[in-house]
Amino acid sequence: MNLFGMMDVSASALGAERIRAEVVAANLANAESTRTAEGGPYQRKQVIFESRAQRFPLMLAGARGAEASTGGVQVSQVVSDPAPPVLRYEPSHPDADAKGYVAYPNINPVMEMTDLLGAVRSYQLNIAAVNASKQMIQQSIDILR
Amino acid sequence: MNMVDNPMVGALSRYLDLTAFRAGVVAGNMANIDTPGYRTRDVDFASELRRALDGDSTAKPVAREIPGLIERPDGNNVSVDRESLLLAQTQLQFHTGVELLRSEFSRLSIAINEGK
Repeated sequence: MNLFGMMDVSASALGAERIRAEVVAANLANAESTRTAEGGPYQRKQVIFESRAQRFPLMLAGARGAEASTGGVQVSQVVSDPAPPVLRYEPSHPDADAKGYVAYPNINPVMEMTDLLGAVRSYQLNIAAVNASKQMIQQSIDILR
Repeated sequence: MNMVDNPMVGALSRYLDLTAFRAGVVAGNMANIDTPGYRTRDVDFASELRRALDGDSTAKPVAREIPGLIERPDGNNVSVDRESLLLAQTQLQFHTGVELLRSEFSRLSIAINEGK
């Protein structure tokens, strides 16, 4: 792995954490959405992270020059939380059922905010790694001076 | 002995290769901080460097899983502190290698310029 490969690894994490933050934002934005294209209330979404190293073990990374990208991370899928919706008694609401209950998404703002904070912190950590690789590349360029 | 390709330059270039590889492994650990079930990997720096200096330059360095780290409930055992410290350390090692290489080349340059 060369220094630019190191940057690719960190970049994959930046992308994955950004998607995670976007999913949290979508969850918070849709905390009160009772209608979706699939029908029913909005369902909380969750990202599933997957290590790229599992697909390309470091041992099998191949010969020099043809190295497979190793050690990165990717979002393998975004899944819906199967938790049942929260029922609120609002008989005048157009989406109320026969008993007058409206199904709202089961979204806990505290959980979403902690998830968002986690994503931000991980993003910062990987920015630090990008800066480190930038500095190392700059230093190797300085050998030429 | 070849002047430009002296043993010091060869050893330093292997040292830099290995340091850059280790930095990449650390970056991989940092990237997977939120991946469930991910295990921290690292390079046995001393033994890999010895192997590289013993002339086995074609052998690629190997990153292995590190035992004895505290595991989170999701099976991930990446520690932010360990990785941050290791990144800083690897960065400084790389810097050391670069500076040594530069001083080696500047000595060569002095010789080329007749000591001026």
